[in-house]
Amino acid sequence: MKNNITALAAMLGLALLTSCGGSAESKDTSPDGRLDPCSLRFSWWGGDDRHEATLKAIDLWEKKHPDIKIIPEYGGWDGWTEKVSAQIKGGTAPDVMQINYDWLISLSMDGNGFYDLGRLDSILDTSGFDDDVLCFGRVGGKLNAVTVSVSGRGLFYNSDVYKRLGAEYPETWDDLIALGEVFGKKGAYPLDLDIQSGGTAWYLAVVYVQQRTGREFLSMDGVLGFTRDDMKMALDFYKELEDNHVIRTIRSRTDEDGNAALYQSPEFIDGSIAGVLEWGSSVGKYEMVLPDGVLEAGPMLKGDSGEDGGWMIKPSLLYAISSKTKYPDEAAAFMDFLLNDTECAVILGTTRGIPSSSYAEESLEENGLLTGLAQENDQMLEVLDTSTISPYMELPRMKEFYNNAIEKVSYSTTDTAEAAEELYNSINEYLEKIRR
Amino acid sequence: MKKFFMYLTLAAGALIMLYPLLWLIGGSFKSNEEIYSSVWFMPGRFDFSVYVNAWKTVTPFSMGHYFLNAFSIILPKIFFTLISSVLTAYGFARFDFPGRKFFFALLMGAMFMPAIVTVMPLYLMWGSIGALDSYVPLTVPSLFAVEGTFVFMLIQFFRGIPREFDEAARIDGCNTLQALFYVIIPCTRPVLVSISVFTFLWTMNDFLTPLIMISSVEKYPLSLLLRLSADSTGDGYELCKLLAMSVLGLLPSITVFAIAQKKFVGGITAGGLSG
Amino acid sequence: MKKRTFHNPVGVGKFTGLWLISPFILGFSVFTLYPFLSSFLLGMTDIHGDFTGPSNYIDVLTSRSFRSAAMVTMRYTLILVPLKLIVSLLTAVLLNQRAKGMGLFRTAFYIPSILGSNLAIVIMWQFLFTTDGLVNQCLRLIGISPVSWYGDSGNALFIIILLRLWEFGSAMVIFLNALRDIPAEYYEAAKVDGCGSVRAFFSITLPMLRDVIFLNLVLQTISAMQEFSAPYMITGGGPMGSTETVGMLIYDEMFRYGDTGYANAVSWSLFVLITAAVLLLFKITGKLREENR
Repeated sequence: MKNNITALAAMLGLALLTSCGGSAESKDTSPDGRLDPCSLRFSWWGGDDRHEATLKAIDLWEKKHPDIKIIPEYGGWDGWTEKVSAQIKGGTAPDVMQINYDWLISLSMDGNGFYDLGRLDSILDTSGFDDDVLCFGRVGGKLNAVTVSVSGRGLFYNSDVYKRLGAEYPETWDDLIALGEVFGKKGAYPLDLDIQSGGTAWYLAVVYVQQRTGREFLSMDGVLGFTRDDMKMALDFYKELEDNHVIRTIRSRTDEDGNAALYQSPEFIDGSIAGVLEWGSSVGKYEMVLPDGVLEAGPMLKGDSGEDGGWMIKPSLLYAISSKTKYPDEAAAFMDFLLNDTECAVILGTTRGIPSSSYAEESLEENGLLTGLAQENDQMLEVLDTSTISPYMELPRMKEFYNNAIEKVSYSTTDTAEAAEELYNSINEYLEKIRR
Repeated sequence: MKKFFMYLTLAAGALIMLYPLLWLIGGSFKSNEEIYSSVWFMPGRFDFSVYVNAWKTVTPFSMGHYFLNAFSIILPKIFFTLISSVLTAYGFARFDFPGRKFFFALLMGAMFMPAIVTVMPLYLMWGSIGALDSYVPLTVPSLFAVEGTFVFMLIQFFRGIPREFDEAARIDGCNTLQALFYVIIPCTRPVLVSISVFTFLWTMNDFLTPLIMISSVEKYPLSLLLRLSADSTGDGYELCKLLAMSVLGLLPSITVFAIAQKKFVGGITAGGLSG
Repeated sequence: MKKRTFHNPVGVGKFTGLWLISPFILGFSVFTLYPFLSSFLLGMTDIHGDFTGPSNYIDVLTSRSFRSAAMVTMRYTLILVPLKLIVSLLTAVLLNQRAKGMGLFRTAFYIPSILGSNLAIVIMWQFLFTTDGLVNQCLRLIGISPVSWYGDSGNALFIIILLRLWEFGSAMVIFLNALRDIPAEYYEAAKVDGCGSVRAFFSITLPMLRDVIFLNLVLQTISAMQEFSAPYMITGGGPMGSTETVGMLIYDEMFRYGDTGYANAVSWSLFVLITAAVLLLFKITGKLREENR
């Protein structure tokens, strides 16, 4: 009996190890330059608007290419990462996928997790993309994914409250800190930063330090650029915001809002919290809970002598092709349609953010579809010398490190120097572990 | 007087139990702003078009389609679970056999492991025999008494039935299976109803397994549809439609429970215990 | 080897039972043993899927995050399970009557369990426990100053305990099933003897329910020790990790951080903890349960 179990375990182990090792080298289908009749699976997550628009875009594709059927697979965000990572591990991923930025690291560490799009450049037209945008999708020298849209975080304020208090939107970091006193008298706060779903607290601190020092927090290939002192500067900056009543402490924020995002908070809705740092592409949910036109985009914060660097952008979404696809040419053609086709762009609108492909963007512009806060934010970022967010910065484990450090500083269980030291070490240790 | 206090206590308890449901129903008529800012359940206005939209769904199918999908997973699952769990529990509770303790330990041990670790290996296993994107991974395991909870539950209840009952049946000429059908099962009918109800409700709410195993929107069970429109990473969405869908989605569960609960109680007459 | 005698009814062979549980044996080897073994082996791989031997298991035992999560889980289980058993048993006794409206009450008391992890619950719970939430308003009425719930590492766990306590329906249903089997004559006889309802509860109901109380105790302990969705939804594990249960740690490691190896190693550690807890329950209740035979 005992021997049998040992034998079985050994067999299983062997099967597992060979399957793990084997998957990377298994052969993929080479492009043949032709579009053959087939069915392609295309998966994405999103809300109703995105689902509806994408289904319509698929109808248009099928009208143009009756031979190539698209099987849509879509759902909400909850659990979607789990689903796709299971599919990729099991070799059953859809041919074309909408992916998140950090999946490039978690699902394709060496660049072999997705199909190398460089091999499909005769079909997939990337001429509409800036080089630094294309760069986002490159892993290990291979083009793994193409950016659908780019987004950066910007500051958005409740204009009613600012008017009522006679306050101006801050231009510089010092302006921001000075606002704490004005708002504090009325028991309100000019801004909110969180360590929950958004993780905006660390984000703003990174922008601040990047602008001051000119050093990048993390490089694209996952090397820490900040020094221990930079880490401390970031945490000190955060603490200064709390101490000056610019933002709530973690404790009072958690007491008031639990684990919820700010747009779900009664304090935001009634105006006692009058500002938020948010991606231009998803500020809509904040607009929704305030009266029309009340939320306005504010300037990107600068240094006293006008330094305006440090602000960051990242791809909000990308498309990738499964490394196991049997129809690389057809998948590339469909992806090209989604990214560049002018008719398709009008159907999709800004349901996936403001398109990075110049063909799609121009088409939206001509049709007057580029308006609103997302667009304003986009333009503000465009004139700045933005740096790109490393995909490593977005890894959930990394977020855990920042948030823990900020939480400790806020609850005063450690001082900023000690928290910075710990943060520095755990980030380095982790990066080393995952970089191979 | 005693009775009055009993009802008062129960009513107060019921209010606490039911309030979130009321709030959920009220929420389906509210704007996001109202939902997040007030604990009061009553909406300012009633606009039933949200329910019409919810029923239509954003997919090519109506909600009815997804109810049917859910039922076509749940019904076989209940049937399979009942047969396999009853047989297994009967074997454990009434018979002595080689390895009994060992297998009982396995039965219990299987419940101790967080189910989450089995998701990936089972996904790969079903993938290797080409059963993904079908209801096979969601129903077939029930044929094999994988729900340790139910087997353990039945064992405990079977033990409560005096052994003299089956012995009497055997003297009357019943064989092993006949003793099960004519003695054990009639004595535990409410427990079997409970197991069916639990299977129904838990499967109705089950999200992660169907999400991973099923990829065609056409085959989604209701639980996947309910989260189809929720995108916390996105640009925001009207919550009321989501709430309306989940109100509709709760109806079968509440109905099933309301019908089944009659079977949970028996013999005791009113007042037998009150006070 | 000593020959074992099998106690079976006359005419029943020693393999009859084995035959009856054969579906379970088959299902166990395919749907349980196989994933368990592969999980155990996966526990010996690193984040890249390379074989590393037992290092993950050693890491788990020495890591602060596991120890802290294990303490949170213990505290959670020790508070929740007894409360839930008491509440569900008392409610079941109250609802186990053929009186007007009982069906409605039974349904009402089960509804929280049907709602499960509905979005509405998450929002409701926020309204209850935030600074100006209902709970604090009630406290203020009776002159107690507001309590910091979500933000306090000592109190946040109670928010989750209360949520799960509120969902006591399944335990209640199991008690109702068992109460039904207590012959009404027992209570009538007790009444004739001048026994009050409280005495009847302790001298008739409790002893008759021994098996089922044990059943609920074990089932609730297992599910409490595996808890992950409630803290996941309500507190996200915070503040300062004070609501991060072992179950949540596993989920995070497996799906958020993608460290399958470590997640599986934690799972096996949890498995050992639960096994120990349940063995302990079997042991300390052994005498009590035997008396029932």
